[in-house]
Amino acid sequence: MALVGGLIALLLGAAFVLLVFAVSGQRDAGRLALRSQEAITAGTELEKTVISLENGLRGYVASGNERQLQPWNAGLKVYPGQVRKLEGLVSDVPSQQAQVQAIKEQIDDYVNLWATPLLGLARQRLRVAQSVIVTGTGRVRIDQLRESFDRLFSQEQSLAIKREHSAETTSSRAIAAGWAGLVLLLLLALAAWVYLRRSVVRPVLTVAEASRRLAEGDMSARVPPVRDDEIGDLARAFNSMADSLEASSEALAERSRELERSNRELEQFASVTSHDLQAPLATISMYAQLLEQRHAQELNGGQQLVEGINAATVKARTLIRDLLEYSRAGRGELLNEPVEMKDVASEALEMLAGPIDQSGGDVTVEALPVILGDARKLRQVFLNLISNALKFAEDIPVVRVSAEVQGNTAIFAVADNGIGMDPGQAERIFQPFHRLHGEDDYPGTGIGLAVCERIIEQHGGRIWAQSAPGEGSTFRFTLPVAGTRRSSIGSFDGGAGA
Amino acid sequence: VRFRILSLAAVLAALGGCGGGGDSKSDEPPLPTITIGTKNFTEEYILGELYAQTLRKAGFRVVLKSDIGSSEIIDKALTAGSLDMYPEYTGVLLSEIAGDTRRPRTAREAYERAKRFEEKRGFTLLGATPFSDSNALAVLPRYAAKHKLKSIADLNAIPRLRMGALPEFQTRFEGSVGLDSVYGVKDLRFVPLQFPDRYPSLDKGKVDVLAVFTTEGQLSAGRYRVLDDPRNLFAFQNLAPVIRRDLARKYGKRLTGPLDSLSRRLTTDTMRRMNAAVDLKHEKPADVAARFLKTGTPG
Repeated sequence: MALVGGLIALLLGAAFVLLVFAVSGQRDAGRLALRSQEAITAGTELEKTVISLENGLRGYVASGNERQLQPWNAGLKVYPGQVRKLEGLVSDVPSQQAQVQAIKEQIDDYVNLWATPLLGLARQRLRVAQSVIVTGTGRVRIDQLRESFDRLFSQEQSLAIKREHSAETTSSRAIAAGWAGLVLLLLLALAAWVYLRRSVVRPVLTVAEASRRLAEGDMSARVPPVRDDEIGDLARAFNSMADSLEASSEALAERSRELERSNRELEQFASVTSHDLQAPLATISMYAQLLEQRHAQELNGGQQLVEGINAATVKARTLIRDLLEYSRAGRGELLNEPVEMKDVASEALEMLAGPIDQSGGDVTVEALPVILGDARKLRQVFLNLISNALKFAEDIPVVRVSAEVQGNTAIFAVADNGIGMDPGQAERIFQPFHRLHGEDDYPGTGIGLAVCERIIEQHGGRIWAQSAPGEGSTFRFTLPVAGTRRSSIGSFDGGAGA
Repeated sequence: VRFRILSLAAVLAALGGCGGGGDSKSDEPPLPTITIGTKNFTEEYILGELYAQTLRKAGFRVVLKSDIGSSEIIDKALTAGSLDMYPEYTGVLLSEIAGDTRRPRTAREAYERAKRFEEKRGFTLLGATPFSDSNALAVLPRYAAKHKLKSIADLNAIPRLRMGALPEFQTRFEGSVGLDSVYGVKDLRFVPLQFPDRYPSLDKGKVDVLAVFTTEGQLSAGRYRVLDDPRNLFAFQNLAPVIRRDLARKYGKRLTGPLDSLSRRLTTDTMRRMNAAVDLKHEKPADVAARFLKTGTPG
């Protein structure tokens, strides 16, 4: 860039100097043209003087009258000065200088070798002088002088034309130089712009584009680091950043793949185990019952032990069922279609009609939005949450299902007036088989909320609880809204009860 | 290249310096520039070139001012100091400049009297030429036959005679004045002619009689009849350079020697042939003079 700047400054300076030269050249040429005119004027004056010399002399010789000599006397005094003036005006052109020198010699010869001798003769022998003058020598000399003057003038004239022409040429050259300078500057500016664009803007834009792609997850986004300057450094820095980003993201992906795999294996293990455990459990249960039916008398006090076996078997089967349910909740294909959540909630209420009736409680479902998801699995969420609300009731349960839409997300809420819990427990309750209370107080394996969390997370949502002991609990979960038009609906709070 | 030119110039300057050193060994004062004038006709132009080239060869610098005018004019220029020297005819010098109309009996007498006159006023005559370029009157042969002309005296009989001549002829003793007083030719119609127009005017019948000079090339062809001058109106006209006496004295033989030896070679025949070379063959006076000086061939 410093080189380009220097070059521009140099060219600017050159254009300026060219202009100055052209303008001063034009002025000089104009002055020279004027000088030619002055030379012609001075020459014409001198020619007039020479002619007046001849006229005065002829007048005197013809008449013998001294008064006729006046122009001669006057001319004799002024002509040397006029010659000097003319010499000064043509001093710059050797050929014209020579011509003036020749004229000077001709005049001197005319005066010294013709006119003055003739005048002397006329003063002594007028008649002889009169006869001599007829020879026309004087006139011949004057004619020759006139020819010399004409030559001088025509040369000076053509010189003036040449000088004017050169003045015009230098003038147009000056203008051309000005224009050329201007055009040159414009071209330079254009070139600088193109250069900047090519060398700075475009590479930076390339880096910006690559950054955008990288940000969008395209880890292969790179910039060709073709140059050695700061832009090249930027490109290289970007590339190394992208390299390390890609490496760490790959490592991350690998780790998450490994986690997923071990998770899957674990689930499979759980599923297989629980499935395979069901058969021996059933067998144990069957043999316990056979024992009870066929050998009741022989057992005596053993009757109680058999009942214990039966109870443990039932509990184990419940555990295994719940375990299977939990592992299924996170597996299998997830449908992704518009789901009318109002209908889903109604189905859940229908399935829970018995427990609701038994509790004598009241479950209200307000207006719910349509979301994208799997209706069957979401029904399980409602089933688990509502049945929990019924289960952990202090007296007559009151459950309220509502939703509000924020942007593309719907936030559902299932609120009850139950026993509530310590806010510190609110997170742990979503862990599988985590229980806050003894099984004797509240039945269940503690798998319900874990299943809910699995399903909601499968939908890309989040589930959490807000509660305090004795103040009831509110379980909230988010789901993506189906279609954007739904988002215009601000809130479903205060909708009609089910 | 510039260096080479400079060094060449230095070498030339050194050579010039050596030459100058050689010259200065002779210990002579530098020779002056001599201004030579000539009168206004062919023979004078040739003579001016002959004397000028001879002097240049002798080492003098010469300015040659040709075609100044008739004797009366050139004499004024000489006496005014505008000229140092010019070739003049003894007869004209005597009659028109010295105003001496006594007819000299010999060429030698004419020369001596003219020289005395010039020396009285600060000039002198160098050696005279063998040729004499006298005035003469010429007519066409058929005009001579028609009027039975033999001598100038016969012109008396012709009324209103048309007389062609250089303008000064009208006022000169060796001209209209002498024709009247010596031969009684009075009924003249004088026609002043420029030098080159004279013979054509006679040829075309614009004039009856033409004043000529005896060395003119035109006369050698026999086309014109030169009238006799029984009463010696037209005097001896041998030529001699008139020169400032102080110059002649100061440079002596160095100046006068080459000029005198040139003058001695100028016979009537030589002069006529050189005149013819210029007037009839239209050679340049300078070339004719140069050839004569180099080869001795007059043309």
